[in-house]
Amino acid sequence: MAERVEVSGGEPEPAAPPASVTAAVVTAPGRGTREVVLASTVVMPAELVPEPDTAPGVPAHEAPLPVGRAVAGERWVARVLRAGAIMSGGMFLLSLVLEALPRSQAVHVAIDLLRKGAASMLLVTPVARLAVAGTLLGVRGEWRYAAIAAGVLGLLAVAVGAGFQA
Amino acid sequence: MLLLMAAGGLAGGLGALLGIGGGIVLVPVLVLGFGIPMEQAVPASLMCVVANSCAAAASYVENKLSDIRLGLTLELATVLGAIVGGLVAAYVAEATVAIVFGLFTLYVALQMLLVRAPRQEPMTAANYVPSNYPLGISGSFVAGGLSALLGVGGGPLKVPLMAYGMRVPFKVASATSNLMIGVTGAASVAAYAWRGHLDLTLVSPLVVGVLGGAVVGSRLMPKVPTAVLKKLFAGVLLGVAGQMLWKGGAGLWPSVLR
Repeated sequence: MAERVEVSGGEPEPAAPPASVTAAVVTAPGRGTREVVLASTVVMPAELVPEPDTAPGVPAHEAPLPVGRAVAGERWVARVLRAGAIMSGGMFLLSLVLEALPRSQAVHVAIDLLRKGAASMLLVTPVARLAVAGTLLGVRGEWRYAAIAAGVLGLLAVAVGAGFQA
Repeated sequence: MLLLMAAGGLAGGLGALLGIGGGIVLVPVLVLGFGIPMEQAVPASLMCVVANSCAAAASYVENKLSDIRLGLTLELATVLGAIVGGLVAAYVAEATVAIVFGLFTLYVALQMLLVRAPRQEPMTAANYVPSNYPLGISGSFVAGGLSALLGVGGGPLKVPLMAYGMRVPFKVASATSNLMIGVTGAASVAAYAWRGHLDLTLVSPLVVGVLGGAVVGSRLMPKVPTAVLKKLFAGVLLGVAGQMLWKGGAGLWPSVLR
């Protein structure tokens, strides 16, 4: 049985990248002892070529997610929240500004519409965030969390439908 | 109107800093300071909790302070608890629950004020692992039930639960609570709005103030030392404990406290 281990050799210097040495770890079957062979150049079998997304020395299942996708997911959740807050806040603020105008039927209707729209926007935003987070986690393959998000949305629908205060 | 905006700004800033939404500040201010009836103050403050959550959590999620996965898990238990709380509300003595909850928050507040945490806390959601999920889930279930029974937000219970029960860093617990309270708050407001109890004339200046306060609070929170946040949180918990004990006392001994 053989394992591939990447070892960085020597002290890293600021200007030059550290030299890389490949070590092959060989285990004698049935005896529990290991013979370590260090060499400057070792020809690796094809199946042991490192995977591009896997950090050196870290098993594939423990490797962090590719940074771009992880960051993109969080950014989308943040964007949904921020957009909802800014749009509803802007509409509420505009309704307050309109209150300073001389009262007429048109102004009254505009204020009413703006406030109802802003309130609806504000209430939908956290639910949309939940849906976006669940979808993005599902896209990343984290089905457990996607299912939890779906479960929360379903329970919220039940709670609101039944008139409970969650 | 400017005073309402200022009250909203204060509640938004404090809520964003501590992950409690700000309702605990707003309701007494609206009722005692502005003479607004409780029936209007509660849904208005819940609307502010939603606004606070949206504005503050956007920043926290971007800065990786909110733990989305942990939030989703505890959210499920909270909503389930709220539904169960709503179902059993008719069979539970509200005053007794309020007193038990008041004593519990008093204990947690004193614990936070008097006991020093020796551990060094990581700054983001990236470099820690929450522990004791069964406690966190069952505690969130209870928090949801209390929310339905007593009308208190889950934040004052969930932040200590995550920070002390699940060993989540305090700032991450606060930011994650901020993310969660928006969903539960929105569901509560929707229930009030459908019954026609939401006064948008009152809500408008409050939400504008809360959004401003939440933006400031969410920018301040990463810079404020954790020890200061804990002391502030303990102060707020003392306020919650006082409110709950008063509410429970008024229910059990109305002739003395009313």
